[in-house]
Amino acid sequence: MIHLQDITKVYQTKSIETTALNRINLQVEAGEFLSIMGPSGCGKSTLLNIMGLIDEPTAGHIALNGQQITAYNSRSMARFRNEQLGFIFQSFHLIGELSVLDNVELPLIYRKVSSKDRRKMAEAALEQVGLKNRMRHFPGQLSGGQKQRVAIARAIVGQPKVILADEPTGNLDSVMGNEIMNILLHLNQEQKATIVMVTHDETMARKTHRLVRLFDGSQVL
Amino acid sequence: MFKNYIKLAFKVLAQRPFFTFISLFGISFTLMILIVLTAFLETELGAHQPLTQKDRLVFMNRVIMKQMTRDTIWQVDTTLEAGAPKYDSTFTLGEERQSWYSASTATYSFLDRYMRDIPGVEAYSFYSPDFSYDLFANGNKLSFKAIYADASFWAVYDFQFLAGRPFRADDVTAQAQVVVLTRKAARDYFGTDQGVIGKHLEMDGRQLEVIGLIGQPANSKYFVSAEAYLPLTLCPPAVLADTGFQGPFEAVFMGASPIARESIQQAIASRAANIPLPNPEEYNYLELMTATFAGRYAYGIFPVKDSPSDALRTFLLIGGGLLLLFILLPTLNLINLNVSRIMERSAEIGVRKAFGAHSGSILAQLVFENIVLTFIGGLIGLLLALGLLYLVNDAQVMGDTQLQFNARVFAWSVLICLLFGIISGLLPAWRMSQLHIANAIKQNPS
Repeated sequence: MIHLQDITKVYQTKSIETTALNRINLQVEAGEFLSIMGPSGCGKSTLLNIMGLIDEPTAGHIALNGQQITAYNSRSMARFRNEQLGFIFQSFHLIGELSVLDNVELPLIYRKVSSKDRRKMAEAALEQVGLKNRMRHFPGQLSGGQKQRVAIARAIVGQPKVILADEPTGNLDSVMGNEIMNILLHLNQEQKATIVMVTHDETMARKTHRLVRLFDGSQVL
Repeated sequence: MFKNYIKLAFKVLAQRPFFTFISLFGISFTLMILIVLTAFLETELGAHQPLTQKDRLVFMNRVIMKQMTRDTIWQVDTTLEAGAPKYDSTFTLGEERQSWYSASTATYSFLDRYMRDIPGVEAYSFYSPDFSYDLFANGNKLSFKAIYADASFWAVYDFQFLAGRPFRADDVTAQAQVVVLTRKAARDYFGTDQGVIGKHLEMDGRQLEVIGLIGQPANSKYFVSAEAYLPLTLCPPAVLADTGFQGPFEAVFMGASPIARESIQQAIASRAANIPLPNPEEYNYLELMTATFAGRYAYGIFPVKDSPSDALRTFLLIGGGLLLLFILLPTLNLINLNVSRIMERSAEIGVRKAFGAHSGSILAQLVFENIVLTFIGGLIGLLLALGLLYLVNDAQVMGDTQLQFNARVFAWSVLICLLFGIISGLLPAWRMSQLHIANAIKQNPS
């Protein structure tokens, strides 16, 4: 499903060159739940961003569903992200000015979906994460765990093939964290969603199918 | 999608009230000035009575006479041949230059002889807007400007008659002692504008019967604006009898369409080339200055080189430049404000792009939001402008000229708002639309 070949990412300033990722080769299969671990600054999020087409590698090739991404222009990439990928961020990144329902509808706005269908789909996604009763609320009125559940609803509303989660439990206490992890496991087991998750939490990582460890930009496991 | 944008635009505005106030203050003040300026230009240059046909008119209001001469340069070579001097001379003609110059409106006689039957003209009129008289009414001294005109004056200029009628060709021929007054003149002279038709007014030693009452034309158009309008045959006899070229009259020609104006101007120019000059020793070159309505207006402000078309170009260049400067300064200010406001939303933009928004849709969203803000500012500006126009008109800051606010000014106001919104929103929106997604998401988590 996701095939990364010799992915290298170098950040360059006038005086310093930092290698964030060094020749990473990784294959993620459909229906797999993969976690990426490693110390801070080892390139976990950079790798996830490159998989999610929101950052570009300095070298290497990415293929998604057998298609080489280098052939895509920015508009095609935007469409690909919209239809195939769903993102969950550590800091939730909900739009504070919009209601929960409007936040969840966001990916559908960039598709040709009628407002009626958008609403139906967003309500269904919120129901899956148990927050349908909060759809008129605003993010500022929710707890951290609820915000992350809204973010999960936003990530799954468009029924993407892959969910990319960047430390989804990082800002939550253990109870909330477990709750979020259970939702992700449920999505993977019941709906066969492919999930790639960056985490610092060994316990969470052990619940996934496979663990990839990074150290100083290189894959060590 | 737009519903979502509108919702978000209002929420963003409500969330940052201080920024919104500063932005709206700048936008509404700028738009108020622009709307008042538009109302002024509409009043001055719009198609209003008596100039609803302004785009079909050609004015001939300047007879220019010049003496053009060339210097003769003689060269004499002296040689000695067989002890005797011998002279050989040659001469060359220098560049043509202007020695004498005289420019003025025309005599009636000149117009009568040379300016009739111009090809392409549907109607024309000869008239003199250059007379004024002192009148006495109820112990008060009044100063009335008078226009002496032929009967077709009323066909070319469509004055609004409030009562009575214009003078006709037979009135002109018969030297009927009649006058058409403006409503204000009637009020000043008779103390009322009601029932004045048939009353008499004493002016220039004549008892004139009031036969018509008209609305007041804008006094900035001095060539149609007066208190009293009389048949040209009542003009002082010496003026009418003057057979010279330069006098107090001018001509206006109405073509079938705006396109006809150019051929009318060309016909007048070619006719000028064939008019014999009365005293070629004094003036040997004749030029008749013609102008469109806009050209004439511009020439009144920038009387350059006896050329209304050059004056119009200068007017448009300077006026356009000033307008651009006036719009540019607040626009730059708003762009600056918008950049700082939008930068705060970089994480949101990053998230939108991560979920499939392409740069174009981000650009459209942010410009749309800015247009919403501009339209709110425009609405406030419109209300302020209406208040200002009321005050300007009420205080008669521009004399009898009443600044107009009509559908056209409103349409221009909407267009100005739209342009202002697009221009001031485009640059910040473009910058945001080009944001690197991963970097944008790292900022300002919500």
